[in-house]
Amino acid sequence: MTNFQLAWRNLWRNKRRTMITSASVFFAVFFALLMRSFQLGAYDRLFQNVIESYTGYMQLQEKDYLDDRILDNGFFPDTSLVRKIENDPNITEVLPRLESFALAAAGSRTQGVIVMGIDPKGEDRATGLGHRLVKYRLDDSAVNSLQHQDIPARTRKLIKVFSGYSYSGTARLMADLGIDEKDSAMILPAIRKFASIRNSYLDSSDTSGILIGNGLSEYLKAGLGDTIVLIGQGYHGASAAGRYRVKGIVNLPAPDIDNRIVYLIVTAAQQLYDAPGLVTSAVICLKRNDDNSLEKTRLRIGRFIKDPLVLVPWRKLNELLVNQMEADNKSGLILIGILYLVIAFGVFGTVLMMLAERRREFGMLISIGMQKRKLAGMISLELLFVGIIGVAAGIAVSLPPVFYAHYHPIRFTGQMARMYEDYGFDPVMPTLLPGGYYLWQTVVVLVILIIAVGFSARRIFRINIINSMRT
Amino acid sequence: MKVVEINDVHKIYHDTEVEVRAINGVTLSFEKGEFTVIVGPSGSGKTTLLNLIGGLDQPTNGEILVAGHRLSELRPSELIDFRMEHVGFVFQSYNLIPVLTASENVGFIMSLQKWPKEKRIARTNELLGSVGLSDRGNSRPSQLSGGQQQRVAVARALATRPEFILADEPTANLDSKSAEALLDIMEKLNRDEEMTFIFSTHDAKVMKRARRIITLEDGKVVSDETRTEN
Ligand SMILES: Nc1ncnc2c1ncn2[C@@H]1O[C@H](COP(=O)(O)OP(=O)(O)OP(=O)(O)O)[C@@H](O)[C@H]1O
Ligand SMILES: [Mg+2]
Repeated sequence: MTNFQLAWRNLWRNKRRTMITSASVFFAVFFALLMRSFQLGAYDRLFQNVIESYTGYMQLQEKDYLDDRILDNGFFPDTSLVRKIENDPNITEVLPRLESFALAAAGSRTQGVIVMGIDPKGEDRATGLGHRLVKYRLDDSAVNSLQHQDIPARTRKLIKVFSGYSYSGTARLMADLGIDEKDSAMILPAIRKFASIRNSYLDSSDTSGILIGNGLSEYLKAGLGDTIVLIGQGYHGASAAGRYRVKGIVNLPAPDIDNRIVYLIVTAAQQLYDAPGLVTSAVICLKRNDDNSLEKTRLRIGRFIKDPLVLVPWRKLNELLVNQMEADNKSGLILIGILYLVIAFGVFGTVLMMLAERRREFGMLISIGMQKRKLAGMISLELLFVGIIGVAAGIAVSLPPVFYAHYHPIRFTGQMARMYEDYGFDPVMPTLLPGGYYLWQTVVVLVILIIAVGFSARRIFRINIINSMRT
Repeated sequence: MKVVEINDVHKIYHDTEVEVRAINGVTLSFEKGEFTVIVGPSGSGKTTLLNLIGGLDQPTNGEILVAGHRLSELRPSELIDFRMEHVGFVFQSYNLIPVLTASENVGFIMSLQKWPKEKRIARTNELLGSVGLSDRGNSRPSQLSGGQQQRVAVARALATRPEFILADEPTANLDSKSAEALLDIMEKLNRDEEMTFIFSTHDAKVMKRARRIITLEDGKVVSDETRTEN
């Protein structure tokens, strides 16, 4: 009869207690893992959104630009350097950007804006800017005309509710207006007829066309074909001014950008600011963008990059966001801490009960010659069994939902979806695939168990045989 | 040959505010092959005395020698090994490990001592036979009657051939038929194998069989009679 067998049989002696303890460990581990997976998955997705639609995974900048985003901290990329970088196996292209500020005026209204000089084709490939063009807009005339169409009353009402909204595709439009698949054939043609806008993207030679954010277009009351004047300060103190025609309106998920952004081609921006060849950053587009590949690529191309230029990875580009996430992460950890405190109490309750219940048995065993350390070993094994069953079950049961929700994330609809989108999130709840955080939580539970084991071993070493055998 | 010598032993408990003189100057010795009972009113110190002899507790004063070992000189863990090697215990109840079968309980100490398997099984079977439970080896304690459980406890106590067996009121929870059966077995072991038994009891059936009766009162020996064989 080994200690191991004895411990195993003792577990099944009080089946219910073993089950309850294992189950409490199981539920805590399961919920903690699931919660963590969703939380980390949300961060992951958020960063992916921001990185893929704005900053990219890595940028080349002049070393002072990150702290002081002025044109004077821009640089003139030399073509041989760009070629060297583009030759790296993990890099697809390098996109120049010239970003600065200006005052935009249209009619009687003005607004301070971000002017973004871009390579339109490359930017579309890298960030999908072309797909953000507004296709439908429920402006007053569209809403009016649609009220007289033969469409369901519910949709008619919703069209009024969403009056003023713009859409880059039909999916969102259908969700907002409560149009389901089977009605779409009937309703969409009317919407196309009255609410479509003739939006077009920038082409590489168009030095007078601009794209503006939907929010900005509403504020300036500037539509397609309207003229916008940009006034600002040029490179090295020159003055900057230019007239442009609105070619397209884009819908950007983050409102503070949507309300203030103007895109033009990079050479047009250079003309505006009187700085031919100047860029403020170059987005380096990657094939593989996991932390490991990113770091390797950074080290490889870092060799060509000489002062004053630096490579800035996404974490630094989005420092504010990263810090916010870290703060948010703490609240998640506190919740998990509470969950684990609950397990700790559960496990200790069981241990205390078990020790009290088996006092006589322990006294008898020590009387007939079982060494205390052997007895403590047996009890430790029992507890470890209970804990490990719980942890293993928790991990096993968490895997299917975590994997499933990673590949088929829960998708929000309606109000919830809009809320997510307004904050720049995709309206989905993905999970993060198992990784370090699984290990980490298993370690926490094992630490709790080891404390419980230490506690019961201590109790066993202090057993007074005479007292434990009396009554 | 003396197996136990007790020399002016005192045991005082201070657990509560009042101090209790549970054993108050006892000098006794036990020879190999004795079949002795300790009697006396409740609280007279019977259990305390047996605990002291068995090395479960240490006297406040005085000295106890068992099989040549001065118990006060042993460290706590040595004392545990000492009990395993030299003393067999049969308690009033809770003798057996509930999750083990009768055979496993009997073999438990042997496996703590790492006996080879065949030897252990042979000895276990022999012992179960000698307490009349050859056919119940695979039963768990909960499947045995109280008397059968006590017999398994006796078999276990005998396993490593101890110097003597201490039994504190072994029949207290048994009906008279089971008690007689248990006593028959112990008597037989005493007669055939010269196993030394020291009991405490209130039970007249046990007293009737004893060859030596020691009476305690207030922690003192008030009489010590040896009955001559007839
Ligand atoms: N661990 C202890 N702590 C304090 N007092 C104790 C302890 N053990 C025994 N006593 C006291 O010592 C005295 C002797 O007790 P003991 O158990 O030896 O008597 P006993 O003769 O076995 O009685 P019984 O016939 O009821 O079993 C009693 O007064 C008892 O209350
Ligand atoms: Mg007693």
